[in-house]
Amino acid sequence: MIQLTRDQIDIEEFIRKAKTPRIGGIVTFIGVVRDDGILSLELESYEEAALQELEKIRDEAMKDFDIESADIIHRIGKLAIGDTIVLIVVAAAHRKEAFKACEFLIDRLKETVPIWKKEETEDGSRWIPGEHG
Amino acid sequence: MRVQVKAFAGFREILGPDIALELPEGSTLTGLLEGLGRRSPGIQKALFDDQGMPLKSVIIMVNKKRQTRAEFGSRELHDGDEVAIYPPVAGG
Repeated sequence: MIQLTRDQIDIEEFIRKAKTPRIGGIVTFIGVVRDDGILSLELESYEEAALQELEKIRDEAMKDFDIESADIIHRIGKLAIGDTIVLIVVAAAHRKEAFKACEFLIDRLKETVPIWKKEETEDGSRWIPGEHG
Repeated sequence: MRVQVKAFAGFREILGPDIALELPEGSTLTGLLEGLGRRSPGIQKALFDDQGMPLKSVIIMVNKKRQTRAEFGSRELHDGDEVAIYPPVAGG
């Protein structure tokens, strides 16, 4: 499943759905709002393009790694410290391919998916600079 | 012809989220950026360096397809195109 959501992400639900009789291991990546002296974090996206890009990298992972499923759920909107920003769930028969696919997915997501973060602090707000131009 | 410009993050705050722009037939992406730059010195400074070259932090999609910087000058636009302008991404 590929999803952008304004609601809290129910991690357990997505892990439960990934479990099928063919699965021997599930690898997850959970991105969390860190307390860098901020009040909150605002996530903005170019939704249609972000969904399209997320589907593209998911399809690449399914093709390049021996895995059964890959799900990416990304929050948008206003988040608090400790909230889940992104959940990636990769399920496979064997763990090694699942680890590799999960790392590939979060690395590519950070490079190409049009999503931005704005920190709100007591001194005002600022966009977190992206690293990939 | 008319194109729809969508701006995100810092560019949204400068340009506004959604702009309908009238352009002459045959306009390129560079032409569109220059047209936006003429709207105000603030916009010009957000999009271009001192030599008038688009800044590296200006990323563009046309109809949800990423365009390389080398294509800005040659990529012709067409009536109804959706042009998205945004800074380097920072999701995850």
